[in-house]
Amino acid sequence: MSLRTGPGPVRPREPDDAPPPAPAGLRAALRRRQGPLAAAAFLLLLVSGWHLMSLALDSLLVPGADDIAAEIARLVADPGFYADLGVTFQRVALGFALAFAAALAVGIAMGRSPLARRFFEPAVLIGLTVPGLVWALLCVIWFGVDLINPVMAVALSSAPALTLSIHQGTRTTDPQLLEMAHVYRFSAADRLRYLWLPSLAPALFGGARLGLSLAWKVIVLVEIFGMSSGVGSSINREFAAQNVAGVLAWTALFALVMAALEYGVLQGLENRAARWRKVAAV
Amino acid sequence: MSTTVELSGVRKAYTGPRDRSVQKVFDGLDLSVGPGELVAVVGASGTGKTTLLHMVAGLESPDGGRVSVGGGASPERLGVVFQQPRLLDWLPVRANVEIALRSAGMDEGLADAALADVGLAEYADTYPSVLSGGQRQRVAVARAFSVDPAVVLLDEPFSALDELTGRRLRLLLQDLWVRTPRVGLLVTHSPAEAVLLADRVVLLAGRPATVVREYRVDVPRPRSPEDPALFDLHRRIVADLL
Repeated sequence: MSLRTGPGPVRPREPDDAPPPAPAGLRAALRRRQGPLAAAAFLLLLVSGWHLMSLALDSLLVPGADDIAAEIARLVADPGFYADLGVTFQRVALGFALAFAAALAVGIAMGRSPLARRFFEPAVLIGLTVPGLVWALLCVIWFGVDLINPVMAVALSSAPALTLSIHQGTRTTDPQLLEMAHVYRFSAADRLRYLWLPSLAPALFGGARLGLSLAWKVIVLVEIFGMSSGVGSSINREFAAQNVAGVLAWTALFALVMAALEYGVLQGLENRAARWRKVAAV
Repeated sequence: MSTTVELSGVRKAYTGPRDRSVQKVFDGLDLSVGPGELVAVVGASGTGKTTLLHMVAGLESPDGGRVSVGGGASPERLGVVFQQPRLLDWLPVRANVEIALRSAGMDEGLADAALADVGLAEYADTYPSVLSGGQRQRVAVARAFSVDPAVVLLDEPFSALDELTGRRLRLLLQDLWVRTPRVGLLVTHSPAEAVLLADRVVLLAGRPATVVREYRVDVPRPRSPEDPALFDLHRRIVADLL
């Protein structure tokens, strides 16, 4: 049998011919799944390596993959897990929204005005150099156990990176479009929605990723130090009970949820924002 | 229609970023555009044509003198066609026109009619980046005229297009002007474009630049680019430019 793809003589298949290539559909499907397959291979290697290490060390401090899996199963069956996750999400969302609003205003101002850039630059640089642990401790000291504590800690830790990213993004905003908006007298809301936000989209998504990664680290610290609920507080409880498998299970689940947020929400929003580029490329 | 554009005693200078030398672009420029008149400003590169238009558009301020658009208490509504279309590529064509209408306090539903006027009704839902250069500039023309502007400013609007596309768009612009005459200021390198579209052509030269000559185009619209009267005037302007 021979696969014929077009007009021309049919070549009989020789016995030593290479195996026929996979059908185009299958190859395309494999190519599409290359990324997820590579990620899955890495995770498999990580879990296997960890398990072998735990077997080799035979220590309570390095529990096996099966123990961690059992802890994960226990956690996901517990309604308290979802409550803690929800509380942490709420705190991060509020803090990040605050940081986003402030960073957008300050970042655009820095991009538009040299005076504003000189005024805010030291604040951004100082903010970038302060460790998340310091923000967490200071917010616990200043705000106690109120909701404002984690919200401010998240906002203070993520705003500088977000601001810097937006400020750099303003350099790519076309000044000719700003002139056009000026002569047609766009309202401030229209300028923000239809000019600044789409122009800044790549910088916003880059900054959001960086800001969120800092926010997750800080929220866990704040919850460990000063809160009685949330993911950090739960990790602290497992730590106090010397349950290393529990600490690792919480960490793994938290990382999983973060990855879901990255792939499910951020990438979806990014694709939506860049839809016009894809249409143009077709 | 009583709207006019008046520039009187306008001074404008730029300071060199390195040697701090002062380059005077205008030092007492006077120019007026009467009601319903389209004036074309021609001149060599660097004579300040675009600076002049930017001052009328409010994008730059004069160092001295007065720039008046309309003369009324409230600023007149402007329609501007730049050398580049300056479209928001992430919005469909219709939305690009709608946003100008909304900003002018007008009904966004007029966008479709404005696009139909420039022959782009069927492209209303597409993104500008898939359009050709000429089509993109048509969208810019539709946006400028959709807001029923008291004053239309045209900054070398067709210089980035190929000859044939530029010619089509000049005729389209003339057609729009015949339907509704407005106050207009056209800045162009092309004397042929100036004589085809304008009621009066102003030659800007020198540094600081002044109006060195004016030509009245007494040819009724619609005009043909092959009109011998226009060609004669074109030749005179080119000779004066050289």
